[in-house]
Amino acid sequence: MSTVLIVAPVVIANWSVISAAVAAGVAAAGFTTVAHTAARVGQELQSDRAMTREEIDIPDSEILEGAAATGETVVAEKDGVRAVFSRDARGALKVCMEGSGVSKSELRRLGEELIGRVTQQYVYHRLVSELAARNVNIIDEQVTADQAVKIRVRSW
Amino acid sequence: MASEEIEIEIGVDGRVTVRTKGIKGEACRDYAAAVAKIIGRIETSEPTAELYETPDVVRRVIDIHNRR
Repeated sequence: MSTVLIVAPVVIANWSVISAAVAAGVAAAGFTTVAHTAARVGQELQSDRAMTREEIDIPDSEILEGAAATGETVVAEKDGVRAVFSRDARGALKVCMEGSGVSKSELRRLGEELIGRVTQQYVYHRLVSELAARNVNIIDEQVTADQAVKIRVRSW
Repeated sequence: MASEEIEIEIGVDGRVTVRTKGIKGEACRDYAAAVAKIIGRIETSEPTAELYETPDVVRRVIDIHNRR
C-alpha cells in the first residue's frame, strides 16, 4: 500500500536539452532523425503540396530563449511520414506531421505517440539528473513490458 | 522496519505515477510531492492507509513514556 500521485509533466528547458529528448524519443518510436536547417525544411514543405499535414502543440512546454532555439528543428522520418519538431512563436514545442497517403487522424495519432515518447525521455533525464544532484540513491531502474520506465529510489 | 521507497513510473505517454512504499504518516505525501515538483504538476493524489499510520518515531516515544 502507498500514497499515489499522478503527475502531468511540464517540459521547460533550453533547445539543446529538448532536442536531445526529441532525438531519443523519436528513436524509441522507430523514427530516424534526419538533420535539416530551418530554411531547407521550409523549402521542402512548400514544394510538396500533395502531402497531408497535421500540426500538434505540446501542452505545458516551453523552450527557453537562446540563439539555438531560433529556427532550429529536429526532423525525423519513418515509413514515409515526417515529423518536424520546432519552437513556435509563443515559445512552446510543437510538431508538424506530414505524409502522403496518410490521413490527418493517423498523422495526429503518430504525432501524439511521438510527443509521449519525447516527454518520457525528457522526464526521465530530468529526474535522474535532479536526483543525482540531491545525492538520492537510485535502487533500481527497469523498462516494463508496456515500455514504461520504472525508477525506485530510497527516501532521503 | 519496512524499506522506505519511492517508485516513479514514467509512461509512454509521458504521464508519471509516483508511489511511496513503507513511508508512514505525512512524510509519504511530502516525499511524493517533492518528486512531483521536479517533474511537473500534480493531477491527482490518492492517500492510502499508510498516510494515516503512526510513524515509528512517535510509537517509540510512547513506549518510553509507558516504561516509566
